[in-house]
Amino acid sequence: MTIKKEAPLRPVQSVTDLCHTCGSCSAICPLTGAKGFNPRKIVYMAIQERDQEIIDSPWPWICTMCGRCEHACPMGINIVNVIRTARGMVDRKNVPLMLQKGIELGLETGNNLGLPDEDFKFIIEDVASELADQPGFESFQVPFDKKGANLLHTLHNKLVNTQNEDLVHWWKIFHVAGEDWTIPSRNWEGVNWGYFSGDDEVMKVFVGRIVEHMEQFEIKNLMYPE
Amino acid sequence: MDKTKITGRVAYHDPCNYGRKSEELFGHGFYEEPRWILDQCVSEWVSLHPDKGTQYCCGGGGGTLQTPYKEERFIYGRKKIEQIRQSDAQMVVLPCHSCHGQIKALLEENHMNHIPVKYLWEVVADTLIVDAD
Repeated sequence: MTIKKEAPLRPVQSVTDLCHTCGSCSAICPLTGAKGFNPRKIVYMAIQERDQEIIDSPWPWICTMCGRCEHACPMGINIVNVIRTARGMVDRKNVPLMLQKGIELGLETGNNLGLPDEDFKFIIEDVASELADQPGFESFQVPFDKKGANLLHTLHNKLVNTQNEDLVHWWKIFHVAGEDWTIPSRNWEGVNWGYFSGDDEVMKVFVGRIVEHMEQFEIKNLMYPE
Repeated sequence: MDKTKITGRVAYHDPCNYGRKSEELFGHGFYEEPRWILDQCVSEWVSLHPDKGTQYCCGGGGGTLQTPYKEERFIYGRKKIEQIRQSDAQMVVLPCHSCHGQIKALLEENHMNHIPVKYLWEVVADTLIVDAD
């Protein structure tokens, strides 16, 4: 497996026919120069199949995959996919620790924090009862695992962890709008770090859990916060 | 919505995923929707420039907030700070958890933490007119 073969290219199949080495990507990237980062160089290295040099460098992980480079590319080379493919080829023990640890906890427990389901329920109900103390929200409750709801609301783990105060914004909107919503009592994780780590199999597991929940509870729409 | 609740100029930041990347992957960039929402909630807002398809990433996307490369995140974010300064805004609004964390950290690093960072849905929640339950 090489990056060149793995990363789907467009509009033709050979990147060697595409890159003019014009440097538009490097000129427009705010990160060019940091730790020797240079999108044009990375594309050229992928063309030459110098994959290991890319994989062993910090470049795949300092790039935010924002896509500004490929937006500027006159030839439409999918540079973000080159980066993400390289991430996926990094040995899992060399993936940034926080990312990999979150993934492992997510696979094991259903959320990247490794928070037990009963603790999750406690935090949510605690914050919900505080909201119910506010005028106009007296009847507010968080509906867990509601069958047939219109909207499934998954949560970014940081709201359940250190930023509890940011849980209530959507809840207020739902309450005032009369939305028929629900949150999962498990597998509530609303970020997919398999996407970030370049691991498609992990990504599919996390997506699959949400799909399964929606099918089981016959929920019509998904609201995914990330 | 009560448009008098938030005073002063608000700056809107386009997250990569809602804009440029959504446009590329799904054929629709969510550029106008958040702007329509801002029109309903605040009286004065501007876009950070350049915006929409050519906007600058905050520097914290793609999982980079979970990496140890803090210095590179701040290098990436210099453009964002420059844009915020130029906008002369008293608040930054955005609809992304990663951008929220990164821009807050950038403002702190640049001694600009008098400028609050709010989620777009937080602005909606804060300006709702709530009737008796």
